[in-house]
Amino acid sequence: MSFEPITGRYLNISVQGRRQRIYVEIAGQGTPVLCLHTAGADTRQWRHILNDAELTSAHQFFAFDMPWHGKSLPPEGFQTEEYLLTTDAYMETVLAVSRALGLDRPILAGCSMGGRIALQLAALHGDAFSGFIAIEASDFQPAWYDIDWFHRPDAHGGEMGAALVSANISPHAPQAERWNTLWMFMQSGPGVFRGDLSFYTRDDSLIGRLAQIDTVRTPVHLLVGAYDLTCTPEDAKRTAAAIPGATCTVMEDLGHFPMSEHPAGFRPFFADALTRMKVPADV
Amino acid sequence: MRATLAQMQQRLHDTPHLLRLGRLFSETVLLEVDGAEFYLTFRDGRLETIVEGPSRKTPWRFALRTDADALAQFWQPVPKPGFHDIFGLVKIGRGRIDGDILALVKNLRFFKEFMGLARAEASMEELV
Repeated sequence: MSFEPITGRYLNISVQGRRQRIYVEIAGQGTPVLCLHTAGADTRQWRHILNDAELTSAHQFFAFDMPWHGKSLPPEGFQTEEYLLTTDAYMETVLAVSRALGLDRPILAGCSMGGRIALQLAALHGDAFSGFIAIEASDFQPAWYDIDWFHRPDAHGGEMGAALVSANISPHAPQAERWNTLWMFMQSGPGVFRGDLSFYTRDDSLIGRLAQIDTVRTPVHLLVGAYDLTCTPEDAKRTAAAIPGATCTVMEDLGHFPMSEHPAGFRPFFADALTRMKVPADV
Repeated sequence: MRATLAQMQQRLHDTPHLLRLGRLFSETVLLEVDGAEFYLTFRDGRLETIVEGPSRKTPWRFALRTDADALAQFWQPVPKPGFHDIFGLVKIGRGRIDGDILALVKNLRFFKEFMGLARAEASMEELV
């Protein structure tokens, strides 16, 4: 047998008074790191990090599928709902998962909308975490596209979403991982990508909160791929500059889904980011 | 440019997965390069005709307008950031997409892969 070292479990939590069955993948031992996937995708984006023998020797990684995503179910009654992710629901979900897992101030690592919410949590719930790795994350991105394109009866939202986000994948990405990354978007449930984009492209509340992030107590490091058209290096640098003490690294050969599209290219940047999360004990 | 488009047409017809992806795509697309118009008429995923403009009478569903240097960079084996995708060209101010964008988005993988068919083969000389 050659099982990967990743374990998958289900967690039942309550978020905003509703029961949610959450799928969580766990690997490693050591400093806890909670990982957040991008819009329209799921925790498989993190599988290369969770399978990394060296990183998992010193860190315990937890990656979970947001409700409506991957192997987490939508909540009861979803069939008559319009899924629209909000900042509050997203923050409460992350906090509830962290509590249910019994994590003590984990490092929070999120990509794209996961990076956006990581920065929101850094501003509003910094005490619940020990540091923030915000990947392809920025203060705000208005949509240059119509999010309604991705949920309509006459076309496949997943296939359109995948074709759109392929613009954000670097040509340096290995073909196999490019297509594995796009497959997750193709599999996304109807209206889920649209509902995630609603959060990502319409809520600009983070802009006014960046300055209140305390990077002495909780370090913040941003990573951004040069091929990311959605969150460009300029967007990430602008965001980092608004957070006193935050740092930012541009990853020249990577795009918007670095841990998934180009695992080998992303690994050294992520390993470096983890080392930046250490805070002196007396702070 | 004309030779490059003919080469792309041939490659499209030799690429079974693209013909399958485009089997419901029957539209005319305007490709404008440095102001020169090329009307690409697809039928059931095949590129039936390539007609050079200018034309005020040819209806088209959507248009991609760019310049020859941007396309040459787009067609590099490993394009630089921004030149790696048709939406990247728009983002960096080297391209414009007009018309029925939803028709493009519904067939986005097909059209992007069609546009990529000249990748690694084009050179500046061919485009002049």
